[in-house]
Amino acid sequence: MIENSDLIALFTTLKMATITTIILMVIGTPLAWYLAKMKSRYKIVIEAIVALPIVLPPTVLGFYLLIAFSPEHLPGKLWQDITGQQLAFSFSAIVIGSVFYSLPFVVQPIQKAFEQLGDDIIEAGAMLGANALDRFFTIVLPITKASFITAASLGFAHTVGEFGIVLMIGGNISGETKVLSISLFEHVEAFDYAKAHILAASLLVGSFLILALVYLLNYTSNTSHTVKNNQSVLPKDMRS
Amino acid sequence: MNELSFTFNTLFDDFNLSVNQTIPTTGITGIFGHSGSGKSTLLRCIAGLEKRTTGEITLNGTNLYNAKSSYFVKPEKRRIGLVFQDARLFPHLTVLNNIKYGQRRYKNTSLDIDEVIKLTQLKSLIHKNVTQLSGGEKQRVAIARALLAEPELLLLDEPLSALDNTSKSTMIALLLNVQKQLNIPMLYVSHSMAELQQISDNLLVMNNGKITHFGNVHHVIHTLNSSQSITQQTSLTLPIHEHLPKYGLTSLQLALNTYIYLPLLANNNIANEHDTHIRCFIAANDISISRQEVAESSIVNHFQAEITHIQPQENNVLISLNCHEHTFYSSISLWSAERLSLNVNDLIYIQFKASAVHSLADLGKL
Repeated sequence: MIENSDLIALFTTLKMATITTIILMVIGTPLAWYLAKMKSRYKIVIEAIVALPIVLPPTVLGFYLLIAFSPEHLPGKLWQDITGQQLAFSFSAIVIGSVFYSLPFVVQPIQKAFEQLGDDIIEAGAMLGANALDRFFTIVLPITKASFITAASLGFAHTVGEFGIVLMIGGNISGETKVLSISLFEHVEAFDYAKAHILAASLLVGSFLILALVYLLNYTSNTSHTVKNNQSVLPKDMRS
Repeated sequence: MNELSFTFNTLFDDFNLSVNQTIPTTGITGIFGHSGSGKSTLLRCIAGLEKRTTGEITLNGTNLYNAKSSYFVKPEKRRIGLVFQDARLFPHLTVLNNIKYGQRRYKNTSLDIDEVIKLTQLKSLIHKNVTQLSGGEKQRVAIARALLAEPELLLLDEPLSALDNTSKSTMIALLLNVQKQLNIPMLYVSHSMAELQQISDNLLVMNNGKITHFGNVHHVIHTLNSSQSITQQTSLTLPIHEHLPKYGLTSLQLALNTYIYLPLLANNNIANEHDTHIRCFIAANDISISRQEVAESSIVNHFQAEITHIQPQENNVLISLNCHEHTFYSSISLWSAERLSLNVNDLIYIQFKASAVHSLADLGKL
């Protein structure tokens, strides 16, 4: 029923979303911490930059990344000098693009949780002999873990669902840059609605399940001690 | 060298903290001040939680901070404990894991956890989630947690302000007992003079970011009497003479064969049965003066005293008296003072009811 090329696209999509989510958690956590603790007026500038992908058409981001990734420009040239391979139209390119594209979905819930947590309880940890890293892993992380799960789920789901950026910087190379949303677009272009239905329905159900899981986790954390992920984590337009 | 010395000169948002003081790190030092006087900020500076300060701190001969040489020991390395006003327990941990948090990190062995649990009366709560506790229980956990880290100095920032009156007396008795048993020096911040009168050995007074008084608690309280910034009072620590359960009275020895009577302490659950001395105070308003000894009176406390100082204050007069080598303070109306034509060196009689002598037992009612 499902074509072999669609299975390859599914594998590529999951691989891209998993790697992207891991990278996002690693860079998003310190960035969220920095933003939550930042008191400078430049905070709003950084926050606006992080939030840009929410409002920007993905093709705009994709266009500029495509230019940056080309061997004629410094980032693309550096990549080529180091790896010996072209960056544009590669799997690495769509991962980098996804990291930019899904950044706000990871940073914002974690930042909000850090802000809600405040400094009081962290100070209590310091007065009991815990250093900064110890405080993060024994106090901050356990209390805000629901937000980390939300951030990872949203980052993953949003990456699975992206289309514009991947099309711009990844092209349509099977096994390398062809993801589910592009496969779906191909089927529609070829008027193969039966195959399109299968992909569209799987994306719909999969995304629904991830979101339902996020809301379930938030619901259970509402009754426990952890910092809650109230819906205000996301701007209104992201919640619809 | 058991002392804490600190110098700070730092402009904060709403006041300038400008202090330079050496405090012996023995017993309990109270820090009194009205809100906004800088007492909590001072504690945060000593703890290392305020980084934007200029100054220097030395604790028991070890330098903790020196702004000039940019030397800063992080809070977690200072061996200073801090009990916050709002407990700040870790909500994801049980009572037991909360109190073990500091102990694990300092790898301490000299304090027995069971002893501390007993002292802080936490035995029945030990496996509870901290979110289920009452305000007083939370503070007891916070105190146990701080004690088990075995700090060289324990700071307490208004630890009782969120508690009801009965819990306050119990907690003060508990802290006094803990201090006596474990011998951990404490700095205790409060805006309640009644609390500080009961708990402090020494008292430090702050106003507008500056230290205005420091010394023995009774001496400082008596000095503050003339400034009218506190309830004017006679503050005393006296040996217990005997308990008279039949009459509901306890007597304290003021001098040889001279006793002050106050409401019975023996049956009160917060009085420590091993205590040999009692801290008490009598409001200056509650002490009356007469020229002649009133022989037959229902008022049980009456003594001869000598006037040492007379200070007019608006419509009242604050009279300092020497009574069996103790200083007493009586506040009477200007009208009475003129009617009795009181003068320094006059021998007069003071009297006050047993119920006017306040101890830890009725702290909550004040």
